[in-house]
Amino acid sequence: MKRLVLIACAVAVVSATVRSLDAGQPSSPDASEQVVDIAAERFIFTPSEVKTSVGTKLTIRLTSDDTAHGFRIVGTNVNVEIPKRSRGVATVTFTPEQPGQYTFECSKLCGAGHSFMRGVIVVAATSQDGR
Amino acid sequence: MGPAVMVALLGTGGGVMAQEASPSPAAPTSSTGISGYMDFHYNKPSHQDGQLDFHRFVLLVAHQFSDRIRFVSELELEHAFVEGLEESGELELEQAYVDFLLSRRFNVRAGMLLMPVGIINERHEPPVYYGVERPLVDTVIIPTTWFEVGAGVHGEIGRGWRYRAYLTSPLNAAEFSAEEGIREGRQKGNRTNIGRAAGTGRLEYVGIRGLTAGGSVWTGLSGFEFRPRLDIPVRVLEADVRYGRNRFEGRAELAQVDITDADDLNDAIARTTGVNPNVASTLRGGYLEAGYRLISGAGFGDVGAFVRYENVDTQFRMPAGYVPLEQFDRDVWVVGGTYWPEPDIAIKVDYVHQRNGSSVVSAPRSFNVGLGWWF
Repeated sequence: MKRLVLIACAVAVVSATVRSLDAGQPSSPDASEQVVDIAAERFIFTPSEVKTSVGTKLTIRLTSDDTAHGFRIVGTNVNVEIPKRSRGVATVTFTPEQPGQYTFECSKLCGAGHSFMRGVIVVAATSQDGR
Repeated sequence: MGPAVMVALLGTGGGVMAQEASPSPAAPTSSTGISGYMDFHYNKPSHQDGQLDFHRFVLLVAHQFSDRIRFVSELELEHAFVEGLEESGELELEQAYVDFLLSRRFNVRAGMLLMPVGIINERHEPPVYYGVERPLVDTVIIPTTWFEVGAGVHGEIGRGWRYRAYLTSPLNAAEFSAEEGIREGRQKGNRTNIGRAAGTGRLEYVGIRGLTAGGSVWTGLSGFEFRPRLDIPVRVLEADVRYGRNRFEGRAELAQVDITDADDLNDAIARTTGVNPNVASTLRGGYLEAGYRLISGAGFGDVGAFVRYENVDTQFRMPAGYVPLEQFDRDVWVVGGTYWPEPDIAIKVDYVHQRNGSSVVSAPRSFNVGLGWWF
């Protein structure tokens, strides 16, 4: 009986998960512009990897599902606070001029696993559509 | 030439703050941050007087030496008062490590580390979980807060997959018990025995917003305190999934502890203390939880309700010749709610209905109220 209860509840959780999934894909209205939504929660950025290309104007819209977090792109002076859950959106616009990988991280101490909150912006030399 | 950047902040009220950023990379700067949380509880077990307990007062201090080296610490005072013995309270250094951030895939960490096992151990700030007290599974099967000294590696291997792997001091099997399993075996970094290092690791998937699914393992030889030495292999296996999106949050966790040669361990403890501890060879526990924010985004805050079912058996499988103590085969239903007047403050209330397999020893039921915050 206990096992049945556990299995039934697990199935319910998984079903709810699958139904609730959204694409979460970045929009790209123009080849030289790209908009990405990144969600922050203890201790994850989702997505934690963003791909773009040199010269593309990358707009990152940042929201939190819990407390206030920070968003800092290492090696640049981008460092903003992401408002707490339901308190708004922080937007960063970033136009890389060199290819490579740019690490981003939470810059506001947010809990026991704060150090795990990292991600990367991968900048290709040419635009993703091959131009 | 560095990247050209522009930053704009859109506040709650729709106001816009904008700043032009320097086009060249900023020089790495050191910084120090302080945060903390607390847990203040009222517990009323059935047929007993209620109790007020300032359960946890925690301060986190972090320092960033450079872009690649940082220090993080967590100092916790439990039960408000320390008099040298745990009956009064505990002052614990739960984390204090230096992270060497080498790359996205590979980083090195050393110091006092949280064991990467289960949902709660590494993510235990009061506003992020339902219930006044932590789940029983995360108390007597996974001994949260579980921390040991050691070193290891961690990173993200792409597409949302992350790992941690540490070598740390092992558990002390001389402190294992029938009721609380391996919990009292934690050495907690206090001049720990490291004759046989323990290994622990976790692989988890976090590639979908709101979803964390992971598995953890801990393995070590834990009989170092006995003479002659007993190499008691202990293994903890755990799997969990957590999904939260919009108003819904669901959690599931299953954990098992295997103690090889538990009969030898019981004999050794009985010879030392004169009491048979009746330690099991397998302990198992799991829980399922569903929570829903009935009110979300209102001006006065959020209100959520939850239900959790737990099954915990610290006498799940006994060594030959030992009889399980049925009062430690426990079912727990917890129902309650949380009011968040703001996202970092949680006012909690719940009712815990516990049953066990014994026809003699009754299981406690309790009504609980809690106040927790994070800053």
